[in-house]
Amino acid sequence: MLEFKNVSKIYNGNKKAVDHVNFNVDEGELVVLLGPSGCGKTTLLRMVNQLESITEGDIHLNNKSVKESNKIEMRRKIGYVIQSNGLFPNMTIEKNVMIVPDLLGWDRKKQLDRFNYLMELIGLHPDEYRKRYPHELSGGQQQRVGVARALAADPPVMLMDEPFGALDPIIRTKIQDEFLQIQKEIKKTILFVSHDIDEAVKMGDKIALFRDGQLQQYNHPFEILHRPANEFVSEFVGQDRVLKSTSLYSVKDLVDSVSLTGYQKAGSVQTVQEDTSLRIVISKLLNQEAEQLAVEDTKGKIKGILTLDLVEKFLYKQIKETPKRTG
Amino acid sequence: MEHVQLVGLAIIVSILIGVPLGVYLTTNEYLAESVLQIFSIIMTIPSIALFGVMIPILSTIGQGIGFLPAFIALVLYSQLPIIRNTYTGINEVDPNIRDAAKGLGMTTLQRLIKVEIPNAMPLIMAGVRTATVLNIGVGAIAAYIGAGGLGSLINQGISRSNTTMVLVGAVVVSILAIVVDQLLRYFEKRFTPKGI
Repeated sequence: MLEFKNVSKIYNGNKKAVDHVNFNVDEGELVVLLGPSGCGKTTLLRMVNQLESITEGDIHLNNKSVKESNKIEMRRKIGYVIQSNGLFPNMTIEKNVMIVPDLLGWDRKKQLDRFNYLMELIGLHPDEYRKRYPHELSGGQQQRVGVARALAADPPVMLMDEPFGALDPIIRTKIQDEFLQIQKEIKKTILFVSHDIDEAVKMGDKIALFRDGQLQQYNHPFEILHRPANEFVSEFVGQDRVLKSTSLYSVKDLVDSVSLTGYQKAGSVQTVQEDTSLRIVISKLLNQEAEQLAVEDTKGKIKGILTLDLVEKFLYKQIKETPKRTG
Repeated sequence: MEHVQLVGLAIIVSILIGVPLGVYLTTNEYLAESVLQIFSIIMTIPSIALFGVMIPILSTIGQGIGFLPAFIALVLYSQLPIIRNTYTGINEVDPNIRDAAKGLGMTTLQRLIKVEIPNAMPLIMAGVRTATVLNIGVGAIAAYIGAGGLGSLINQGISRSNTTMVLVGAVVVSILAIVVDQLLRYFEKRFTPKGI
């Protein structure tokens, strides 16, 4: 779907912002471009829609070189979300969201239906927000509208440049969750720039980790966390990488892999849902909120008891038994 | 009425020249500096001197005095505020907004019309207002070269030592300036998109 072939970007004759990068992104995958600031991840992203030129190498989108594509037409087929949302202050929310369909000349009816659909998707009431202006919305709402705008013409590919970076942590977590839900439904091919390893682990099907313009490792988050390719990667993911990897799993993954302790009705126990992240479970257990947690399935039926020992057993099993995967 | 006609016409022509020029200059920083400098220098020429210079030049086409030289002077004086404000307004549009517009696939012209000019509108209109008020004042002096208007009232008052006449002329010019400025302020609000 998206192929980076020996891509380099050289500024002012010698400074290499992106240095011979090679990797492929499959259809429907969310790949996080991760790395410290100045590592070239944003530059690489902007080379896809040709906001930055490619000095050497090429990027192929659907087997077609982006260098040879008509820039304007191509950009309209690529969703683009930026950190500061970039909503046009002079336009209403509806005008903002419908900007690409408008450029493409969609008729009124089609635009209206699409606007309603998108607003429902991002969880804002269409009629309530239609005539409002960006400055009247909160940061989180603006960012959601930014996502809706990028999705407007149903582009197969989305480029997201630290889309949730400017939001406060609570809103940020919420929007990340919402966006993962949306992605489950729309299955776009997404490049997602981030400098936050936690965000990358949470959002990415795969992570591409960069340093000084060079690709250090490109693989599933699990591999990045458990089998870092070099010193830099292991340093970047941090010594608490095992803890970070727990956000890759839900309680359900654990239940499927190791058997829970039987549950006897005795006093009150805290319950967790099956879709809860293992990271939250560990935190609860360590925090002495409870020594054990009862796992509840979607119908509210208790399946068994979860303890710290079981989590340990599960993680051990994962690390030892998961076959090595390659990007 | 002559006064309003002169100033009004000069402003319309000034906008037609100044706004596109200001927009164009945002694409050429080097040229922008020179052009703004030239119009700054023109601004410093006293109006009487400017009229004086134009008399011999325009006399070659038989228009040395009257409406034409006054009109040209007003247009020249208007350029600095209009060009500079347009230039600054467009340049100061949030780069993120411009980046988004580009990334979403707008052409340069679409970006200009849909995003940059609307967002620069408050500054552009402020430039037009400054130019207009300035022109109402300079327009009064144009009476010296026979362009008529409220300036002739003041002129005649001076030559006849009639203080009342001078005062009436001056007060009317001031009132005109204030009224027009308020009127333009209303237009500024009307033309500025609500979200800004």
